[in-house]
Order: sequence, then C-alpha cells, then structure tokens
Amino acid sequence: MDRPIAYDKLAREDRFVRMRAREVGELKVEQGLPPFPDLASRESIRERVHGIMVGELQAMEGAGRTVYDFPDAPWEFTLDMARQVWDESRHVETYLDLLEHLGGRVGEFPESTILWRCACAEDAAARVAGVNRGLEGLACDVFNQLIHIAQKIGDPIIETSVDYVLADEITHVRMGSRWLNELTRGDAERRRKAIEFQETIDERFNLGGSRQDGHHDVVPISIAKEARKLAGFTDEEIERLIKSTQRSQVY
Amino acid sequence: MRVLGGWIALTPELPAKLLFGRHVWDCAQHADLWGRRLPELRAAAQQSAPANDAMVAFMEMLESPEGPRQTLERVVGVYTVLKPHLVTVYARHLGGTNAVYEPPTRRILARCLEEERRHAAAGAIVLARLARDAAGRARVADWERRLLGTLEKAGGVTGGVTAPLVDAALLGVSPDVVAPDLVQVPPDFDPATLPADLAAAVDAHRTALESGDGAGAAAWVEPAACDALTAALAPLAGRITGTRVVGLAAIGRQQMVKVRIESPRAIGFVQLRWTPTASGWRIAAGDLVSTEPVSAAP
Repeated sequence: MDRPIAYDKLAREDRFVRMRAREVGELKVEQGLPPFPDLASRESIRERVHGIMVGELQAMEGAGRTVYDFPDAPWEFTLDMARQVWDESRHVETYLDLLEHLGGRVGEFPESTILWRCACAEDAAARVAGVNRGLEGLACDVFNQLIHIAQKIGDPIIETSVDYVLADEITHVRMGSRWLNELTRGDAERRRKAIEFQETIDERFNLGGSRQDGHHDVVPISIAKEARKLAGFTDEEIERLIKSTQRSQVY
Repeated sequence: MRVLGGWIALTPELPAKLLFGRHVWDCAQHADLWGRRLPELRAAAQQSAPANDAMVAFMEMLESPEGPRQTLERVVGVYTVLKPHLVTVYARHLGGTNAVYEPPTRRILARCLEEERRHAAAGAIVLARLARDAAGRARVADWERRLLGTLEKAGGVTGGVTAPLVDAALLGVSPDVVAPDLVQVPPDFDPATLPADLAAAVDAHRTALESGDGAGAAAWVEPAACDALTAALAPLAGRITGTRVVGLAAIGRQQMVKVRIESPRAIGFVQLRWTPTASGWRIAAGDLVSTEPVSAAP
C-alpha cells in the first residue's frame, strides 16, 4: 500500500454522489437556499446529520490512514490514532441511526471530500493540527449547536447521542494538542507549518460565515468556547478563531 | 492493526469498512499489551521482528489487495486466515503455559484469544454478506488457499507453528453470538426512492440511451447542457447495453441521479443533475464520474 494514498483513492459504495462542496453551495444559493443547512426544519437537520455522518466516515478513514502511514511515529501516537478510528466508527454508527431516526437514508445528499483531503496531509503533525484541532474543533461547535437545537425541539434522542459524540471529539482535540506539541518539539519550522495548515482549515470551515461568536439563539453556529477550553484550546487561540470568522467568506 | 487502518479508506462497502474500523483499536491494544510484556521477559519494549523472510512475504501478500473491488480478498486475508491462525497459536500457547509462573502472559493470551475469536466470527458474517454468488465464493476459496500456502512456508507467525496452522476447532465462537456486535448497515439503495414524476423522466432517458436514440436522450437535456453531456458520455455512447439507477442525492429542489451505464468493455457511472422546469424534469448538467473495465466490475 502506498504511504500516503492519493485523494481520489477514497472508496465509496455506488449509492454515494460525490461533489465539490463549493458547487453544492452555489447550486443551493441559485435556488434561493442557504448554502448550508440552517437547521430550521426537520429536513434541514436531516441534511446536517447526513453531512456529519459522512464527515465521521472520512474522519475514521483519515485516522486509519494515519495509523498506517506513519510506522516510525511514537507508538503512543499510533495508539491514540487507533483509538480515534474506533471512536469514529461508533460515531458513524450513531449518525447512521440518527439519520434513520430522522427518516433519512445514506446517500440522500451529496458528499464532499474536503475533510478527507485535509486528512491526507503528508506530515503527521499537520494532520493532527488540521484534523484533530481544526476539524474536530469545528465538530465541537457544530455538535454543541445541534445539542442546543435538539433541546429546543424536544428531541432527546438527538440531544443525548450527539452529547456522547461531543465528549469524544473533545478528547480528540486534546490528542491533537498533545501530539502537535510532541511531534514538533525542537522543530519550530515544522510546528509553524502545522499551525498554518490548521489555520487555513479554520478559515475554510467557517461555513460561509455561519460560524460566529455569540449565543446559540443569535448566530447560526456558535463557537463552543467552553467545549474548546475543555479540549485544550487557549483563550488566545479561541480569540484568533473568532477573528478569522469575521473575515471568512468561503465555504 | 496498521493494515486494517490503511484499508478502511480503500474499501467501498460499509459493512467491511466499519468492521475494520471497529477492530483497529482492539488490535492496537493487543500489540500494546505484548509490547509492554516484552521488557518483563528481558526483551526491548514495543519492539518486534518477523520470524523469517517468508513471514514478511506472507504479510506483504496479505496486504496487497488494495483495489476497490478486492474487499473479499481483504476480509479473507485478515478474518479467515490471519486471525484464525492467531487464535490457533494463542490457544496452543495458553495450553502450554505454567499457571504459577506465567499469569501475566496468560492474562494477555486469554484476552487476545477471546477478542480474536470474536473478530474472526464477525468477519465471517461480513464475508458471507459480501460473497453472495459462486464467483465470489470461488475468489474467497482461492485467496484463502494461496495465503495459507504462503503462511505454511513461513511456519506461521512464530516460524515454528505445527500444522494445522488454522485449527477451526479452536475458533469457538459462533457467528450468531457476535451478530449484535456488528453495525447494522442500512439496506442497499432502492430506485423506488425516486419520486414518480422524476422516475418516469429518468427511465425515459435511460431507455433512449440503451436503444441508441441520441435525439430521444437529448430531448431530456436542457439545451445549454447538451454539448457538455454528449461529450461526457462519448466514451460509452452508441455501445450502451444496460443502465441502472444506483444513487439519488438532493440539492435543494434539484436531484443528482447517479446511473450505472454498461457497455461491452466498460462500466461507467454518470451523475446527472435533474432540475424541475416548466416542461417537467430536465437534465441541467452531467458528468461521467468514473469508468472501469467490465472484468473489474461486480
């Protein structure tokens, strides 16, 4: 097996429709719809849950590749990544069930592979910075919001399920923080590049400006400051993320 | 552990993908337990070496099926050969250990044995789902035979394992027992999912493609998209022997319909974006997203 593999080797059952996220967003905007599910309806929540299910699938695949791609990395790093594979597989299962709970089906919405492409970074430190801190940090924000919506609409199944997943995501961010530090110890340039990679991901995944600083009831996706602090983000990092959301226009 | 981890992204089928995903962590813990036991036995922690070059060749062979249509070989390699072999070795080793001097090793063996048995049983269930026809079962038997032959040359994982290298009597867990451990994967795509009016339009377009009626097919395409779609389908056009809807994804009111197109030499997958218009459903865009030789396609 190649180490790493090309992006386009990502294998899917035929029922999945793969598209670029930008194209999907533009097609929705052309129809007068928000580029991302606004969670204002059950169908919109279903679309979001489908997107998360696919994201968890890619996170499992990415963590699996990290287990394989870096045989010379510290053993404890490999152990953490192996644990993450298992966690992500349970998350896929959780979201498959939630999709069914919401009357949806696998493949009901297009899949984009942005997350997977981030997980293919050649440097292990960049992967943990980009995926564990950038994307799993985003997951903390999105899941926190989903829990809040579930509470509002009185859906304890979504609320409880996502809360369990959120606990795992916080752990994964912690793993990312630990390994970003350990893998780049004594190599300032490697650390700089890894953090830069994470910041490009943070900017890219501000979801068309949906992620903002503010209360759940006021902004589309609130930055989950408490969850992020639990996960090991510093106040300074959270402040930097807030600033990045104020200038991001991409999705 | 590493091979399963690497294969997850390369494996299309959800049941196999999630099977690998569930077991990577167990395998990692097994490796960790053995690695931490080593210094207690006056060897270096977390360091291992293959028994011989033939064992390296076996692992390389086991790892080699990485194509999207080689899931059967991947599952067979790990779940029909390697894990049952480990069960055989662990069970025999456990049977020979001293209950007074070797409890630390015995505890690790007992845990690994139980989990490897369950893994093998879970793998057998997934394999039965995937190898549904005679051709699939023949592939399974052939790959198992070849791998076992290579493993025999190595003398098993330790280099000194006596025959049989896989003792079915030691597996001990019925697939039924582990069925609840498996992720319940949703059923295959059902074309009946398409709304009736869209299904009628899609079927008419497919019928035109299959009968070589270019003008009839083009009538379903928005004028602005006609040239691009004709160009996209050119590698398969005029030789289409069959079509099947395999996927449907919504983008607002528009629907991406994924169609498998068969020709004598190749199978292609196209994604057609259908949009509601005043004249009914029409194709606004389409792409040929992949092709593969007929010999490789299921």
